[in-house]
Amino acid sequence: MTRKIAIIGAGPSGCYLAQALLKQDATVEIDIIDRLPVPFGLVRYGVAPDHQGTKAVSRQFARLFERQGVNFIGNLDICTDAHGGDISLDDLRAIYDVVVLATGLSSDRKLGIAGEDLQGVVGSGVLTRAWNDHPDSKDSELPAPGKQVAIIGNGNVAMDVLRILSKQDHEYEGSDFGSHHAESIAAAKVERIEVIGRSPAGMAKFDPVMVKEIGKSAGLKFEIHDLDFDAASDSENPKIAALNGLAEIEPDAKRCTISFRFGWSPVSFIGADGKLNALHIARADGSETLELPCDMAVTAVGFSDDQRLGRMDLIESAADLDNGRLGDGLYAAGWFRRGPQGTIPDNRSDSQIVAAAIAQDLATMPESDAPGREALFARFDHLTDYAAWQRIDEHERASCTEGRLRNKLRTRRDMLKLALNVTETTQ
Amino acid sequence: MKINILYGTETGNSEMLCEDLESEFGDDHELEIMNLAEVDPADLDLSVFHVFVSSSYGDGELPASAKPFAEKLEGSDTDLAGLSFAIFGLGDSDYETFGHGSEQLADMLVKHNAKQVGPRVIHDAQGDDLAEDVAFPWFAERVAEAEAMSDAA
Repeated sequence: MTRKIAIIGAGPSGCYLAQALLKQDATVEIDIIDRLPVPFGLVRYGVAPDHQGTKAVSRQFARLFERQGVNFIGNLDICTDAHGGDISLDDLRAIYDVVVLATGLSSDRKLGIAGEDLQGVVGSGVLTRAWNDHPDSKDSELPAPGKQVAIIGNGNVAMDVLRILSKQDHEYEGSDFGSHHAESIAAAKVERIEVIGRSPAGMAKFDPVMVKEIGKSAGLKFEIHDLDFDAASDSENPKIAALNGLAEIEPDAKRCTISFRFGWSPVSFIGADGKLNALHIARADGSETLELPCDMAVTAVGFSDDQRLGRMDLIESAADLDNGRLGDGLYAAGWFRRGPQGTIPDNRSDSQIVAAAIAQDLATMPESDAPGREALFARFDHLTDYAAWQRIDEHERASCTEGRLRNKLRTRRDMLKLALNVTETTQ
Repeated sequence: MKINILYGTETGNSEMLCEDLESEFGDDHELEIMNLAEVDPADLDLSVFHVFVSSSYGDGELPASAKPFAEKLEGSDTDLAGLSFAIFGLGDSDYETFGHGSEQLADMLVKHNAKQVGPRVIHDAQGDDLAEDVAFPWFAERVAEAEAMSDAA
């Protein structure tokens, strides 16, 4: 009897889970299901377009589908009954022996301060998905990059946003950053970027290598404030050393000033006629306040659940959350299980733990005749498969402009045209 | 020839490359693949040719699975005299710390009297080549050198 496993979410956690599960038990039949017509989730739509080295991990995932017998089922939206979608989680559980939720956490965490809905304020998730040409992102909802930008947050996502807003068009060679994005950023001629962090510099969340990378772009002048805010600050701290490195840069021709401030919390966004024009920040003890003029503000303060799978209830009632066990035949991995902390490699280890738990449970699971994907293909005619992704991939690579690796299809309609309406040709 | 292949990995790319080496060379040689996380430097079989594959991570650091091995080796007086090894790196030339992970590991092994065979080559994630396309010819050359050395001995 072959066990039928469905992993929901074709991003790093789901793919690592399939990889680890096959190492534990090569007899299982795995389907990785995604809401989008194409696989790889965060690797394709979250990792910055100029970090192709990080995206290279998708070669491991491609191998699952190309050599290891894992099936990709795209364009299938699974959620609780309350959220519509194509099929409910309960219905999916009825046709598989095991269902694993690995959909990550994609909503931007809100600051919950006044003015957050002003035009010009945007979450880092919304922004980076747009920069990665996610089919659900609409350019019309994005603020145009402004002359003065405030970035709230000090993690690696904030550094991604900072780097992309401060790099020059020609520096995107070898990336898959859409020219339309690079041109719109270049046209904005950003003059000043304020980066606001709540913690002291020595405890900021960014990795030093991310900060050093920003200094490689020409024409940037850095102001590092509040290093003395941290009583324990010392130049041996790699984060502080990286910031000091930036401060030493003397550009030949300054095009943009980047200011890092530490130990400040955002208080409110200030605007007129619905449009942002300043950010109000304060010291945690209220001893000092500042008003920073800005026409664009990016919040990069973490991610939360979009509630489409009823995550909160599932997590609260989980049988053994440490090993990913939510209930009978239902598991969670990655950020969906742990919350929004940790990098891609952290989710690899996480998926290995959950795979071990699943393999252990499979040994005692009663026999079943779960139909698996046959039932899905019998019910839906809009599903995409890995071959469809390969056609899209080939098209994107072939149609890219000079200096780019690919030109991403930006709408579901264009993807599905290539994915579903195939005319067989002989070559 | 018997060859132990040891990988240090963070995202799994080095592990995948070792699996590729096994499929490519496993019929001609007796290969054993091990995660460095599960290897104690004191237990290395000095008579066997060792091939290390390691990425770099973060700011030129060793990848997570190589760290315990490196920490044990560094803090010990383990003598690896007699051990021949070759080392292959995975890196990203976007960063100035390109290949530092494999470099650290190589230096550490040499410091403990192991003998490095051939050059340390680093696959660049920014390049057009796939890791296996660079690693396969490199591996074949290193194995030929190691065989010549053991024949001469």
